[in-house]
Amino acid sequence: MASDFEVEFIERDDRNARFVVRGLTPAFANGIRRAMIADVPTMSIDTVRFVENSSVMFDEMIGLRLGLVPLTTPLDDYETGETATLALDVEGPATAYSGDLRSSDDLVQPADENIPIIELKEGQRLELEADAVLDRGREHAKHQGGVAVGYRHLQRVDVVGDAGEFDEQESNILRGVIETEDDELVLTDEFDNDLTERYPGKEVEVHDVPGAFVFHVETDGSVTAEELVLRAADSIGDRAAELEEKVAV
Amino acid sequence: MSYKCSRCKRDVELDEYGGVRCPYCGHRVLLKERAPTIKEVDVR
Repeated sequence: MASDFEVEFIERDDRNARFVVRGLTPAFANGIRRAMIADVPTMSIDTVRFVENSSVMFDEMIGLRLGLVPLTTPLDDYETGETATLALDVEGPATAYSGDLRSSDDLVQPADENIPIIELKEGQRLELEADAVLDRGREHAKHQGGVAVGYRHLQRVDVVGDAGEFDEQESNILRGVIETEDDELVLTDEFDNDLTERYPGKEVEVHDVPGAFVFHVETDGSVTAEELVLRAADSIGDRAAELEEKVAV
Repeated sequence: MSYKCSRCKRDVELDEYGGVRCPYCGHRVLLKERAPTIKEVDVR
């Protein structure tokens, strides 16, 4: 059963990653996807204490908006349920942005500074203190670290011959990543997602490569894409170990 | 319960027997002020 996975990155930056994994079963690929969405904890505002709110919106509505602001999460420093405090004080005329939040912990900061919270007019003021808590996506969607996480089969494109001279060239749209005959991984963006652009006048066949999956991971900025994947894999490992232990007793 | 008269902007204590009316200017529109306490909201 134990086999090595072969991982190859195609795109990789802080919040985005695209990589191919070989030697996976579809069930395990889906397990990783689900773990990335629901099992990697992130910090998110959970309790808000309003000192002053003379804006046009109710406290509860502003609280809901604050909850959805992604916060950078130092996963090594916090346990699930631990909190960090943030404060906001903006006086109109101005727009309160996520960047106006001041945190008690330098490592817990708004991941983006330009998320508008509310527009304040002359004489309006918003002053509050908020507790951010570490929790998992399965408790509340605001704790999801991975926001656009998915996978698909790696597709191999083989040239099988020339297209007929008078055949109509219909566009052949593929998305994601393909494997060419020279075992090269090519992003379909490079040829406008259209196989006839890459192989003009050729007849091609497309097959799924068994056990190979192309993952696309995008995070909301609270953790890096790389950490999200590693933590998701760890969480599967931890739960498997826990199951093994419980079954053995 | 403290209110504020919408015309003369003065603080008004609402008197149950006197009806809803500002004792200073007689205006009938009173605005309820937000309580000065800190309000805690659970974000769920």
